[in-house]
Amino acid sequence: MTVPHTADVLVIGGGATGAGVVRDLARRGLRALLVERGDYGTGTTGRYHGLLHSGGRYVQKDQVAARECIEENRVLRRIAPASIEDTGGFFVATPDDPDEYVEAFAANCEASGVDCDEVDVPTLLEHEPALDRRIRRAFRVPDGSIEPWQLIESTLADARLHGSDAASYQRVIGFEVTAGRITAAVLRDERTRSETKVWTQFVVSAAGAWAGQIAAFAGVDVEMTPGKGTMLIYNHRMTDAVINRCHKSSDGDIMVPVHTVAILGTTDIKVADPDDYDITREEVAQLVDEGAKLFPDLPRMRILRAYAGVRPLYKPPAADAAGGNRSITRAHVILDHADQGVENFVSVVGGKLTTHRLMAEQTVDVVAAKLGVTARCTTAEEPLPDQHGGATYWLGHRLAEIEQRGGGDADLLCECELVTRPMAETYLDEHWPCTIDDVRRGTRVGMGPCQGAFCTFRVAGLVAERLDASAGDGPADRAEHAAIADRALGAFLRERFKGTRPIAHGRQLQELLMTNGIYTGVLGLDSMAPAVGPSPVTAPEAVDAAR
Amino acid sequence: MPRADVVVVGAGLAGLTAAARLAEAGATVTLVAKGHASTHWAAGGIDVAAPAEARTPAEGVALLAARSAHPYSILGADVEPAVAWLTGVLVGEALAYAGTVHTPIRRVPTAIGGTRRVAIVPEAQSAALRPWEPDEVLVVAGPARFKDFWPSAIADSLSRDDVWHGADRPARVVGVSVDLDGHDRRHNVNALELANRLDDAAVRAADLDRIATAVRRAAGGRPGRVALPAILGLRAHAEAWRDAQVRLPLDPFEVPLVPPSVPGMRLWQALRARIRSGGGRIQIGEQVHRVEVAGGRVAAVEMEAATRVHRITTDALVLATGGIAGGGLIATVGGLLVEPLLGLPVEAPPPDEWLRRDGLHPSGHPIESAGIVTDADLHPVAADGTRLANVFVAGALLAGQLALRERSGDGVAIASGWRAATAFLDGRARAPRRRAARVARAVG
Repeated sequence: MTVPHTADVLVIGGGATGAGVVRDLARRGLRALLVERGDYGTGTTGRYHGLLHSGGRYVQKDQVAARECIEENRVLRRIAPASIEDTGGFFVATPDDPDEYVEAFAANCEASGVDCDEVDVPTLLEHEPALDRRIRRAFRVPDGSIEPWQLIESTLADARLHGSDAASYQRVIGFEVTAGRITAAVLRDERTRSETKVWTQFVVSAAGAWAGQIAAFAGVDVEMTPGKGTMLIYNHRMTDAVINRCHKSSDGDIMVPVHTVAILGTTDIKVADPDDYDITREEVAQLVDEGAKLFPDLPRMRILRAYAGVRPLYKPPAADAAGGNRSITRAHVILDHADQGVENFVSVVGGKLTTHRLMAEQTVDVVAAKLGVTARCTTAEEPLPDQHGGATYWLGHRLAEIEQRGGGDADLLCECELVTRPMAETYLDEHWPCTIDDVRRGTRVGMGPCQGAFCTFRVAGLVAERLDASAGDGPADRAEHAAIADRALGAFLRERFKGTRPIAHGRQLQELLMTNGIYTGVLGLDSMAPAVGPSPVTAPEAVDAAR
Repeated sequence: MPRADVVVVGAGLAGLTAAARLAEAGATVTLVAKGHASTHWAAGGIDVAAPAEARTPAEGVALLAARSAHPYSILGADVEPAVAWLTGVLVGEALAYAGTVHTPIRRVPTAIGGTRRVAIVPEAQSAALRPWEPDEVLVVAGPARFKDFWPSAIADSLSRDDVWHGADRPARVVGVSVDLDGHDRRHNVNALELANRLDDAAVRAADLDRIATAVRRAAGGRPGRVALPAILGLRAHAEAWRDAQVRLPLDPFEVPLVPPSVPGMRLWQALRARIRSGGGRIQIGEQVHRVEVAGGRVAAVEMEAATRVHRITTDALVLATGGIAGGGLIATVGGLLVEPLLGLPVEAPPPDEWLRRDGLHPSGHPIESAGIVTDADLHPVAADGTRLANVFVAGALLAGQLALRERSGDGVAIASGWRAATAFLDGRARAPRRRAARVARAVG
C-alpha cells in the first residue's frame, strides 16, 4: 500500500493495543493511521501464551487488574467470538500450593467480580486425566484461549470500515518536533528501504516494550523494564481447559490449550533489549520441573519449540527495583507527555492482551479531550467484522466443514493443521501478492506438531506455481521466483530451528536431526545458495512470530 | 528357548546388510527392530562418500579414512568389497543399481529443485548421472495435485546456474503437471499410494501414456530426459521401470521424495527377501528392552512383545540401532547422551556446542558426530572398561561421522554391517570346536 502523507492521529505499534486504539479513534470520527515495523502481531501480542484472562491470576495481588480482566473477558466474548476458544479454566491446588492462598481464593474472586465455582476434584480428573492425582481442590473460572492474529485482522478491518488505515513494515525512525509539538514522523519501509513522512496532529505510541525507543525520538524519557517470558509449546493438548496453579503467580504455572497444541507459561526475566534475548536450557528445565507439578508426565511429553515474548512492563520513576519484575504492575498506564514538554504525544504502556480494548478506550479518551472530540467510545458495543455469525471457535471446525461438503478437499498440504490445497489457494487469491509466512499466519500451515518440516516446501511450490502463472515466465522471472521460494524456505527452517535449539533433547532433537537429514540428504537444500546463505539482517522474517 | 547365532538390532542399512550376509553364509540370524528405519526416509541410493574435494566415492573414502576419528579409518578397505557384494545381492533380487565406488560423483536434481552429489543409485535414478549434452532439455513431469512434487517450482529452480555449482546442466528445464484419471482433490495423495497405483499394469499403461503426451509436447522435438517423482511401482517396480522406458519419449529418471521413500522401501523389500531366503528371521515392532551381559559377553536379548517378554539367547550381537536421528542414542534434558541398550559410553561434543546458532549452517552441527567408539574389530568398550568381544557396533551409531555433509552414511552402514558379519563368520570358522560342543549339548 501507499502510506498516506497525513493523518489526524498516528498510532505506532501493530499489536493488539495499537489495533484497538486505531479502531477506537476511527469509530469516534478521527482519521488515524497505524504503522508497524514488521507484520501485525509479531511483537509481544504474537508471543504470549494465548490466554484470555478471567482475572483469576490477579485476584489476590491486584484486584483492579482482576476486575478489568473479567469485564474485558466478557466484552471480547461478545465482540470477537470467532477469535476465542471457550476452553474454560481451572485453578487447581497441588500439594505444593499454600493453604492460605487456596482457602482465600474463592473469596478473592468474589471480591474482584471473577466468576468462580469450586468443582469436584474426581470429576475434574475424569475430564482432565493428565492432571496430578494429588490435586486437593479445584475452582472453575471463565478463562479461554484467544487467537491474536485473527483478533488484530478483525480489529483493523473495523478501523478501515470507519475510514482509518494501517500499514505494516513501516518503521518509525524519527519525529519532527517544533515548539513542543510533533508535526511529522519519518518512516522507513522495511522492504524497499525508502523513507516517507507523515504529518499529523497527534501521536499515540502503543509500541509496548519498545515504547522507550519511540519516546526517545521526541526527546521524552519513558523507562520500560522489558520482562522476558519464555513459553514451551507441547505437541498435543494434554488438557482441554486452561489449567492454573492456585498460588501466587509464578513460573511454569499455567497450561493453555491453543488449537492443536498446548502452551506452558512462563518465566519472567528482566532483559536489557527487547530485540535481543536468548532462551537457555536452564530456563527450559525449570519450566518443565514446575509444569510437572500440574502434569506429572510433562517431562516425558514432547516439546515442539520454545519461544519468548517481552512484557511491556513500565517502571514509574519512583518504583522500587527490589521486588523483581513480578512486583511491577501488570496494569496499564497512560503517559501524557505534555508533562515533559511535548503537547501532542501520549504513550500507553503495560497491560495485557485481554484488556487491550479498555486500554485503547482510556487512551483515546485522553486524545479526544485534547483534540476537542466529544464522540463517545463504542468499541465495547458492536461486534467486529468477520466473526462468523457470533459462534466461538471450535477446534473441530475444519474437519466438520470438510465433512459437510461431502468429504471433498482431502488434498491436505498440511496434515497437522488440516490445511487443504483449496484453503491455501483461497488465501492466495485473497491476499496475493504475499509470502509463505503470510500464508502461515492466515491458515496455520506449518504451526502444528511437525512445525513445517513436511509442508513448507509444498506451500513454496504453490507460491512458485502462482508466480509462474501471474508474473511472466522468462528466465529471469523464473530465477527470481525460485529465489523467493528458497529464501522463504530457508527463513522458515531457520526460524523453526531457533525455537528448537533451547529444547534440543529427546524426541525433539531426534526429529530436528531427521528433518536435517531429509532436507540435506534427500532434497539437497545445501545446494541452494539463496536459502542457505546468511540471513539478511533486517528481513521481515527476522521479527517473525513464534507460533 | 529361541536362540540365534547372531541377533541384529536395527533395521537400517547396517542391520540389513549384516543380517543378509550372515543368513547367506548359513548362520542363524534374528533381526529385531522397534520399527522401520532410515531406508524409509532416505533417497534409496548408496551414498558412500562425497566430500567436496572427492571426484569418486573411493577418493572420498580415502580422504575420510585419513581422519583418525572417522569410521572409515578402520573400515576403509571394506567399503569396496562390501558395496560390490550388496549391489550384487540387490541385482539378484531384481533391484538393479548403477555405479561403483569408482564411478565419478555427479550432481543430480532433487525434488525441491536443488542438486545433490551421488555416484551409486538405483537404476531408475541413473539416467540423471549421464553428462548433459548442450542441446538437451529436461522435462520435470509429475501427477497434478501431488503435494510432494511441484514440477513448475522444481523447473524454475533448476533453470538457475547456481544450483548446479559449475557442473554441466540441461539447456532448458520445463515443468509439466499431468492429470491422472480418477485422481482429484478428494484424494489425499502421497508417494506410496501413487506407487501402489502404478503397480497395476493397466492403470500404469494409461498413466504413462498421458505423461508421454505431455512430455512430448513440452520437449517440442528436442532431445533430452524426463524427471519423474520416485513412484514407479513398489512391488512391481521392475515391470513399471521397463514400461516407463518403453512408453516415455525421453529417457526417464526418478527423483527421490520426502518420506515415505518408495526407493527406500524397495531396498528394504529386497534385503528382507534375501534375509528370509537365507533362513533369517525378522521381527519388526519389537523393542529390545534388556541385553544380558555375562563375563564380558552378551548372552541374551529380551524384547517386549504385546503380552509377554521374548528372550533370545545368542552368540553375538550386532548393535545397529542408529544415531540420534534413528533413536540409537537419546539426549537427556540435562545434556547427556545415552546409549540405552548396553549403556555404552558415548563420544560427543559438550552440550553447549551441540548445535550451531544457524540451523542451516553449511558445516552441519557438531552433535551429528556423536556415537560409540570401537576398536578395529568394531567391538565397543563397556562403561566399566571391559571390551565386549561378541558385540559389533555398526552404522550411524559409530562415532566420528558427519554423514550428512560427507554423504557417507550408507557406505559406513554397509561396510560396518558387512565387516561385523564377516568377523563373526571368521571367528566361528577359527573356533569350530566350541560350536560343535554346544550343538552336542543342545542335542544331548
